[in-house]
Amino acid sequence: MANFILPFLIAALFIYAAIKRIRVYDSFIDGVKDALKLVYSVFPYLAAIFIMVNLFRASGLSGYVTKLLSKPMSLLGIPPELTELILLRPFSGNGSLLLLEDIYAAHGADSYIARTASVIVGSSDTAFYIAAVYFAESKVTKLRYAIPAALAANFLGVIVSCLVCRFL
Amino acid sequence: MNAVFLIIMVVSLGILTVLKPEAVLGIMIDGGKSALDLSLKMIAIYAVWLAVLKIVEKCGLDKKLTSLFSPVVNFLYKDENKRAKAYITMNMTANLLGMGGAATPLGIKAINEMNRDPDKIRATTNMILFFVINATSLQFIPATVIALRAEAGSATPSDILLPNVIASILSAGAGFFIVKICSKILRSRSHNK
Repeated sequence: MANFILPFLIAALFIYAAIKRIRVYDSFIDGVKDALKLVYSVFPYLAAIFIMVNLFRASGLSGYVTKLLSKPMSLLGIPPELTELILLRPFSGNGSLLLLEDIYAAHGADSYIARTASVIVGSSDTAFYIAAVYFAESKVTKLRYAIPAALAANFLGVIVSCLVCRFL
Repeated sequence: MNAVFLIIMVVSLGILTVLKPEAVLGIMIDGGKSALDLSLKMIAIYAVWLAVLKIVEKCGLDKKLTSLFSPVVNFLYKDENKRAKAYITMNMTANLLGMGGAATPLGIKAINEMNRDPDKIRATTNMILFFVINATSLQFIPATVIALRAEAGSATPSDILLPNVIASILSAGAGFFIVKICSKILRSRSHNK
């Protein structure tokens, strides 16, 4: 059903545009130009985040911070096996999916750790990346408390995930 | 962000200077390469969605779609104009349907249409709320995660659906309250000055 809706809607849109005498091809090209402009303005943020994350992991600093945070997090009911994933999640979508696969391989896909990790990844998003992309075209540069608020909300989601996966 | 970036960069580079200075440049360029790979993927995805969106705008459909927005959006973003509300509605719909590729360009359009502060560079409370709700993920069916689990040999890959919905709703709800509380505190502070 869902497979059928999307092509139908796009075809309907094109026909509607043609009836309204819109130059569909020219508009399409303009849209693609927007895509280039958008990615052009987002790339610097992406490069900075990815270079930072690479250094963070390669230097072993991420491992050290993971160890440091594991104790206080376990007091909140978060297993230490998940600390690195929680740390990486706001920065890198691909990185967290790779880590998720590692967790499946190490603990088995149906273990408590693997299920909780799945829920953590599924119920959150890459806050830093979204902040960079969503505000890229606006003139807004002062995000104020936006990122801390998103991180806090996602961290609460992590605590809930750890708790809920024990019962469901 | 500036402080976080500076601290992580300096400490990481410091450690690497001692441990493996010869690898540093390669590691940094690899990071740039990951950013480039992702950007190429983004160009492909947004080329499709922004082109479609452009035709929607040229037809004037974005103005007509304003009647579509849900009571939820109307309640959360009371003082925004109709176009912003329409984009917010479409962004949330795309998220709920699991179409992340379409949700992002719609989210950017929504932010562009939303009301500004007089100085234009500060994010408004509504912008922050919209961002936080997106950053806590509205995707109730995590298709990618379920697929990865199935590949890893899970017997019941979709049994995370219910916990996932609970965690999604609670984190988005928490985000809503955190933003509302922060904006209240900041407003009362600026009144006291």
